[in-house]
Amino acid sequence: MNYPVWEPPLLGGGLVIGIIAILHVFVSHFAVGGGLFLPITERKAYRENNAALLEYVKSHSTFFVLVVLVFGAVSGVGIWWAIGLVNPEATATLLHVFVWGWAIEWVFFLVEIAAAFIYYYGWDRLDPKTHLLVGWIYFVSAWLSLFVINGILAFMLTPGKWLEAPSFAAAFFNPSMLPSCLMRTAVSVALAGVYALVTAATIRDVALRLEVVRYAAKWILAGTSVIPLASVWYIATLPPLAREIPMGAAPPVMIFAGLSIFFSMLVVVFTYFGPYQHPRYFNLTFAFLIAVLALSTTGVTEWVREAIRKPYIIYNYMYSNTLRVADVAKVRERGILNSALWVRHHTVDPERPELSGGEIFRVVCASCHTVDGYNSMRFAVKGWSAEMIDYQLLHLNELKGFMPPFVGTDAERRALKAWLLTLNPQPTMREPVHPGVQAEAPEAERPGATKP
Amino acid sequence: MNPVIPAPVPIPLPAPPWLVQILLVFTYVLHVLPMNLLVGGAVILAVSTYRGRRDRRHRELARRAARVLPPVVAFAITFGVAPLLFVQLLYGQLFYTSSVLMAWPWLAVVLFLLVAYYGIYWFNFQQEVLGARAFWVMLLTALLLLYIMMTFTQNLSLMQHPQNFYARFLQTPVGNYLGSFDVGTMARFAHFLVAAVAVAGLGLALLARAWRQEAPELAAWARGYGAKWFMAGTGIEFLVGLGFLFSLPPEIRSLFLGGDRLASAILAVAVVLAVLALAVAPRSPAASAVAIIGTISLMAVVRHLLRIAYLRPYFDPRVLPVQGQWVVFALFVVLLLAGGGVLGWMLYKFFCPSSARPTSV
Repeated sequence: MNYPVWEPPLLGGGLVIGIIAILHVFVSHFAVGGGLFLPITERKAYRENNAALLEYVKSHSTFFVLVVLVFGAVSGVGIWWAIGLVNPEATATLLHVFVWGWAIEWVFFLVEIAAAFIYYYGWDRLDPKTHLLVGWIYFVSAWLSLFVINGILAFMLTPGKWLEAPSFAAAFFNPSMLPSCLMRTAVSVALAGVYALVTAATIRDVALRLEVVRYAAKWILAGTSVIPLASVWYIATLPPLAREIPMGAAPPVMIFAGLSIFFSMLVVVFTYFGPYQHPRYFNLTFAFLIAVLALSTTGVTEWVREAIRKPYIIYNYMYSNTLRVADVAKVRERGILNSALWVRHHTVDPERPELSGGEIFRVVCASCHTVDGYNSMRFAVKGWSAEMIDYQLLHLNELKGFMPPFVGTDAERRALKAWLLTLNPQPTMREPVHPGVQAEAPEAERPGATKP
Repeated sequence: MNPVIPAPVPIPLPAPPWLVQILLVFTYVLHVLPMNLLVGGAVILAVSTYRGRRDRRHRELARRAARVLPPVVAFAITFGVAPLLFVQLLYGQLFYTSSVLMAWPWLAVVLFLLVAYYGIYWFNFQQEVLGARAFWVMLLTALLLLYIMMTFTQNLSLMQHPQNFYARFLQTPVGNYLGSFDVGTMARFAHFLVAAVAVAGLGLALLARAWRQEAPELAAWARGYGAKWFMAGTGIEFLVGLGFLFSLPPEIRSLFLGGDRLASAILAVAVVLAVLALAVAPRSPAASAVAIIGTISLMAVVRHLLRIAYLRPYFDPRVLPVQGQWVVFALFVVLLLAGGGVLGWMLYKFFCPSSARPTSV
C-alpha cells in the first residue's frame, strides 16, 4: 500500500524473485561447499603426494571462480534488486531489524571474495601451507556468510520471540535458525560433490578420473545423509499452518514437497549406483543429469519453503501483500483505496466500480497473483458467480488459509468483485440439466439438434 | 499538490542517522574507486583493443591491463553492496519508490552486469582466439557498464526528486519509466563518466609500474599514455563539473558557492586537490593518485550534501526514531577490523616477494 506495485506480466513479482533466488541458491551453496571441497582436496593431494589430483584441484578452482565469483555474486545482488522491487515494504522491514547483520555478512563476503581471488591467483605464488590456509579462510568466511543470511531467512518464517520483544538477538536466534543452518550446510556439502562431478567427468587421465568421480560422489552421499534428520528437526520448529500446507492443505505445495523428496532421492540413487559404484561408466552427460536433478531439488524445495510461509511474508507480522497484521483494523476502517498511496482514485467510482476494483487488485493481490500468468486470477475465478466471488472475498482467509484476509470496505469488495467478473465475460456456468429433462425437451431445444 | 512519499518503516532505526550517513559515504568511496577503474578501464581498453589491431603496444597494453579487471569488478560489486544497504536503510521509502517506477531498466542492470562480467573473463581467457573480435567483446562490455552507470544516475536522481514520483506514476505504467534525459541528469552522468575515464587512466599509469621488469619499454609508454587519459579527463571534468554545478537549481547551487560555508569549503578543497593531482601526474602518478583519492572522497561528501539539500523540503532522516543496536554494531566494527586484518595478511602474503614460492608436491 505504501509503494507502487510493479506487475511483471505472466511471471508476477514472486516468480521473478523465485527464478533469481533459485539459481542463486544453487550457486551460493556451492560457493560454501565448494569452498570446503577445495582445501580438503588440496590437502589430500599434498598428503598423498598426488600431483595429478593437485592439477585437478587447480582446474576445478578456475571453474569455481567462474561460477561462484561471477554468477554467485551477481545473482546475490540480483536478489536484492528483485526483493526491493517486488516487496519493498518487507525488504525495508528486514533491513531495519537486521542491518548490522547484513553489514557483518558484508565483511564475511568481502573476505570471501578476496580469499577466492588470492587462492585462485596464488597457486604459483604462495607456498602450499599459506595457499591452503587461504582456502580455509575462504571456506570459513563463506560459511559464516551463509550462517548470517540463513538467520535472516529463517526469521521470516519463524520470527519467534521477536514478535513480543523485538531485538536483534531475538530475531536472529529464531526457532528454525539452527536446523535450517544445518540443512543448508549439508546441502552445500552435497552440491560441492555435484559440481565436482561435472569437472571430474572431463578429466582425461582415466585413473585420476575414476578416483575423483568416486571421491566427489562421496561428498554428495555424505551431504544428503544429513538432510533427512535436519529436515525433521526443521519441520518440528515450524508453525502449525506451515506444516499443514504441504501435508494436503494446498495440493500444489504438497506435490512440490513430494517432488522435493523424490528429486533428492533420485540424486542419491543415481549417485550411489552411478559414480560411486560404477565410476568407469560415468560421463559428462551423467554429471549434468545429476546437476539438473540437484537444481530441480533446489527449485522445488525453495518454492515449498516460500509457499509454507503463506499467508505471511514475515510470519504473524506482515502478510504476503505487505499489509502489517497490526494495520488490518486501521485499513478496514479507512478502506484500501484510501490507505493506498499509489492509486488514481481514493474512493470507489460508483459509475465504473470495476476500474476501482482493478486498482484494488493491484494494491492487495498483485504481489502473489497475475491476471493471466502465474497464479492467474482469470483462471482462478473462471465460472464463479457474483455471489460466489463475494462469499470468497468475505471469507478469504478462512476458506483459503494461505491467503490474507480481504481488508477492504463493502464498497471496495463489490468493486473488486465487479473487476473479477470482467475477467471472464462469457457466462460459463448453467443450471445443471437432468438427463431425463433433456430427453423430454422438444426436438428443436436439444443441443446440437438439426432440422431434417 | 503534496508529493506522494511512502511512510518510513514503523521500526526505529538501529543507529543514529549521522552514523549511517558516515558509513554510507565511506563505503560509497570504497565502491566508487574500483567502479571508476572498471567503467573507465573498459572504455580505455576498448579503445586500445581497437587501436591494437594496428599498434602492437596497444594490443599488449590491453592484454596486460585486462588481467586486473576481474578483481576490480568483484570489488566494485562487493563494495557497492554496503552503500546500497545504508541508502536503503536511511532513504528506503525514496529509493524503493524510484526503483519500482523504473523497475525494468533497473532490473536489467543485474543481467547486464552479469554479461559484462563474463565479457571481461572472456576477453581475458580468449583474447588470442578472439583476435579482431576482442574489440567487439570489450566494446560491448564497456557499453553495458555505461548503461549500468546511466541507470544508477537516473535512479538516484529520481530518488532525490520525490515531488516527481506521482507524476511519473500517472504517466507511465509502473516499472517502465526510463529516466529523465534533461540537462541536469545528463551533466551528472557525464560528470561520473569523465571522472571514471580519468581515474582509470591514472590507474593504468600506476599499473604500468608493475610491468617495468618484464617490459620496460611498454611500461614507460603505458605510464605516459595512462597519464594522458588522466590529464585530458580531469581537464574536461573541470568543464563538465562546472556545467553540472550550473545545471543545479539556483538555491541549491548557491549552497556550494558560499551559501553554506562547509559545503563550499569541501568543494573548493576537492577542486584544489584535483588541480594538484593534475600538476603532479606527469612526474608522479602515485602522488597524483593520493590527491585524487582525496578529491573523490570529498566529492562523495559533496554528493551527499547535494542529496540532503534536494530532499530538505520533503524528508530529513533526523526525524526518524532511533533505537541503537549497539552490541551488534560493536560486533560489526570488531569483525570489520578483524576482516581487514585477514585481508591485509592475505594481500601481504600474495604481494610480498619473500613469501612467493611455487607449490610443489
